[in-house]
Amino acid sequence: MATEHILELTGLSKSFGGNRVITALDLAISRGGVTSLVGPNGAGKTTLFDLVTGFLTPDAGRVRLLGRDITGKPPHLVARAGIVRTFQSLRLFSSLTVLENVLLAADSEAGMRSSSERHESARVAMERAGVAGLADVRAADLSFAEQKFVSLARAIAKPAGLMLLDEPASGLDGPSLRRFHAIVRALVDEGRTVLLIEHNLDIVRQISDRVAFLNNGRLLAHGTPDEIFAMEELAALYFGDDAAT
Amino acid sequence: MIPYAESLLIFTSLAVILASSLNLMLGYGGMFSAAHAVFYGIGAYTASLLALHVNSSILLCVPAAMIAGGVAGALLAVPALRVKEEYFVVASLGFQVIASTVFNQWVAVTGGIGGLTGIPPASFMSIQVDSYGGYLVLALLCAAGVLIALKLLVRSEFGRALRALRDDEAALQALGRDPVRLRVATVVIAAMLAAIAGAIYAYFTSFVNPESFSLDESILIMVMVIIGGTGTLTGPVLGAVFITTFPALLSFVQIPSTILGPTQRVVYGAVITLLMIYEPEGLLGFLRRISRVASFSALRRWQPSTSSS
Ligand SMILES: Nc1ncnc2c1ncn2[C@@H]1O[C@H](COP(=O)(O)OP(=O)(O)OP(=O)(O)O)[C@@H](O)[C@H]1O
Ligand SMILES: [Mg+2]
Repeated sequence: MATEHILELTGLSKSFGGNRVITALDLAISRGGVTSLVGPNGAGKTTLFDLVTGFLTPDAGRVRLLGRDITGKPPHLVARAGIVRTFQSLRLFSSLTVLENVLLAADSEAGMRSSSERHESARVAMERAGVAGLADVRAADLSFAEQKFVSLARAIAKPAGLMLLDEPASGLDGPSLRRFHAIVRALVDEGRTVLLIEHNLDIVRQISDRVAFLNNGRLLAHGTPDEIFAMEELAALYFGDDAAT
Repeated sequence: MIPYAESLLIFTSLAVILASSLNLMLGYGGMFSAAHAVFYGIGAYTASLLALHVNSSILLCVPAAMIAGGVAGALLAVPALRVKEEYFVVASLGFQVIASTVFNQWVAVTGGIGGLTGIPPASFMSIQVDSYGGYLVLALLCAAGVLIALKLLVRSEFGRALRALRDDEAALQALGRDPVRLRVATVVIAAMLAAIAGAIYAYFTSFVNPESFSLDESILIMVMVIIGGTGTLTGPVLGAVFITTFPALLSFVQIPSTILGPTQRVVYGAVITLLMIYEPEGLLGFLRRISRVASFSALRRWQPSTSSS
């Protein structure tokens, strides 16, 4: 088993009705570092996350985490196996406070840890995401940027080796972006592997160790940012489909 | 206190237990159940059989009733929730119909339509509970105990997960929680609590038969929760008090007993419809609104004097 790869996708395919959204996709993510998944709207990026985390079952192909086959496992078992994810639409628990939101990530490690330990890890996660001051605010009452960082704090509180972040930086302003950047680098420094979806290519260039380019459900390229950005046909494809970015 | 008032309060306490426990499923777990009277009934039959054939001690009968109720809850929840939670209400309806059939037909155990009679009064250590006052204390203690237990539960780590489940199931799954297990646990706990009411009912009336645990009763409990307001601890209490004391109020206005039943149903239906249209948060929301209006007008009365000072 090739365990130098934390995540290994082989021949992954998914269609909705007759619409092929992911086609025979092979992708191996090494342990550590940040990989950005880029591609035009509708390329299948979120669908890929859903396939990895068990929210969707692939029509074909395998998903391996540290060499272990997790294909078709339900989301909660994938999470326990060591993958934490965020959602494009954030999906905070809106009637719960920020602390409760983050505690729920720590809670699922119950059995091994006492309540005070869980509170401590929630506090640390909120601190790292810069939302400790919001602990008692109801999630529904947060601003958009605050919600994004709380969603990040919730993911951080879960001690998972692989983090899948779906557009965590979209809509953030300059200072927030710098904060986000620092948070992600700190996660990598502590040995986590981050796979993130991002449309803004400046951010991708700054933050990524590797870039995977997805178009129409196919992986067109996977390499260092310099390699990927040097490929003119990819840039053309990207800007052609998504001129606004 | 006159026995009538005491007995009304006892039934109100039991209704509070039933509505509050159903609310754990409905208001927190999002599961509509038309089978809550089954757990009430299982509790009543279990306590009755033990009291009749073994010992009438509360310390034996109530825990046994709770266990039997919990097992019944698991019997409903495990298969029903494995499929899809949307079907839960349908599964619960089927469960209620099956249970009613068993209560009616398994004569050797349940006494069939005639039920079980001569259930001995509750005992606790050497104390015999044999007065209305005694049962009132017992019922109030149980209702208070159930409410405190629910309050602690909702605030606990389990309750936090349950509230999160209501907000966003996918997000909870992504954090490693199994929603099916959470829902099954919720149904089992709610069923155990409902069974307590059944045990007290059996002791108090010294008679149980299937009629008390029918689909009608299940729907009435659901009405209590919906009228009172789901998802809070106070709402179902208000609903239970309203539904149990309402017939008593009607009897004061001298409605002929032949049309009492239909009148009640029409009024319940009208109240539910009006609440759904004007106050989806139920009686509790209605009372909150009134108190806001009241405190607002109080504020207005109070303000001029302070602004002038
Ligand atoms: N549940 C579904 N049923 C049917 N079609 C779907 C479903 N989910 C996604 N799709 C389709 O699959 C395609 C890929 O969607 P996906 O959300 O994965 O794109 P994406 O790369 O994340 O795009 P974006 O950048 O806009 O978030 C789209 O055409 C979408 O309409
Ligand atoms: Mg997407």
